[in-house]
Amino acid sequence: MRKQLGRSPIRRSLQKVFLFSFLLTTILLASLTIHVLANQSPPQNPLSVSTSADTPSLTSIETILRSSVQPQRSLSATLPPPKQDPCLHCHITGENKNLWTPLARWAIFGTMGLIFAFGMYRTGSVILNRKTWKPLTNRTFEWVDERYEISEPLSKVLKKPVPKYALRWFYCLGGITAFLFVVQGVTGIMLAFYYKPTPEAAYASIQFIETQVRFGAAIRAIHHWAANGMIVMCTAHMLRVFIMGAYKNPREMNWVSGVLLLILTLAFGFTGYLLPWDQRAFWATTVGSEIAGSVPIIGNLALVFLRVGWNVTGETLSRFYALHVMIIPLLTVGFMFAHFLMVRRQGVMRPL
Amino acid sequence: MSHEQLENNEETIPFFPDQFMREFRVVIGIVVIAVIIGVLGMINPVGLEDPADPFNTPAHVKPEWYFLGLYQLLKFVPKTTGVLIPIFGVVILALWPFIDRKKETSHKPMKVRALIVAIGMLILIALTIWGGVS
Repeated sequence: MRKQLGRSPIRRSLQKVFLFSFLLTTILLASLTIHVLANQSPPQNPLSVSTSADTPSLTSIETILRSSVQPQRSLSATLPPPKQDPCLHCHITGENKNLWTPLARWAIFGTMGLIFAFGMYRTGSVILNRKTWKPLTNRTFEWVDERYEISEPLSKVLKKPVPKYALRWFYCLGGITAFLFVVQGVTGIMLAFYYKPTPEAAYASIQFIETQVRFGAAIRAIHHWAANGMIVMCTAHMLRVFIMGAYKNPREMNWVSGVLLLILTLAFGFTGYLLPWDQRAFWATTVGSEIAGSVPIIGNLALVFLRVGWNVTGETLSRFYALHVMIIPLLTVGFMFAHFLMVRRQGVMRPL
Repeated sequence: MSHEQLENNEETIPFFPDQFMREFRVVIGIVVIAVIIGVLGMINPVGLEDPADPFNTPAHVKPEWYFLGLYQLLKFVPKTTGVLIPIFGVVILALWPFIDRKKETSHKPMKVRALIVAIGMLILIALTIWGGVS
């Protein structure tokens, strides 16, 4: 218990009042939520549920979800069913209680309660201590800084001066490439949630993504076009650096890592192109690996390594998928880290 | 180049918040473009061709657009040479800072390089388009 700062018995009892009301609010919130939980109606009959917003292709998903066995989390199995949903006065009649509603209820009412409780605590603190409230952001930063002493390196990073010659538009190309990589990572993960990397299921899984998954067609389109965009921006960035001669001493290794990143980006494109497993993908990969096979000395080795055998098969698909999703991303992140570190350390080259 | 020298002689802006906000606006711009592409993708999806059939080679087989130039080149040049040209090209590209080490004192080298890039890109783009249409 913190020491009593109030000077008079009146102030001390005021402190007790504020503490008591804070605890009371917490208990009220807890009981309210238990009450709401206990009175949640069980999931509705899937056949009677329909909203005008559903497109025909999407109701099938929701029907499947609703008819599947769901654990009964509420206490309504043991208590008598209520006459009416207690929260109905806030709802439009007949609204679905889907997967998001319990979270939405907790989030809205919980946040309101927490803000109210915090407000009371802050008011009590200001009245009793007669000091301005130190904002929570300042408090968090000081808490972290006490333990890790980050204020000096952090201010060094944040205050780094950027020369004005580096503000022209063609200096953004590298950053654009990096952000497109992030976009590809995010959309790629979302696609990987539904894509099946076998010859039998790949094609159908992409059709599923484009027709059945909510915004699946959008995510696939972004992934497809951002891939092309990333190659264009990477090349443009390289040409900018080349023309300005920013590869010269002391920036040689930066250039080398950049060329490696360009090759990795093209490898991304090559491996990703096979994944839909349609005619274009299959035969383009056949042609591509055939070209790789005509390199002297290592040609056959390269061809067998890529194709996992002498022909493009399901093994090829698995290998390309692993390359596209695990190996090339890890390599790219590693080289990007080195590339950014070097740029940060050396700064942008001053033009003549 | 030390930071103090940069701050005293140069006109600079601080990374945070100025440069950070500039980069943030670029990021928002890209997100907006991505959303537009997404919406267009819902209207006109990327789609698929026929399912893969290992026993049925289609009439026109082409690689992705970024390899079309090389593919077109391979139609005139013997296979081994055609494969070695891009490999040597990439090796020379990667080692270019060790080839061109001369310290620059005028704008002339930059103009020469810009010319090389312009000619090179024209050749590459022409080869790519040619590979695309044939």
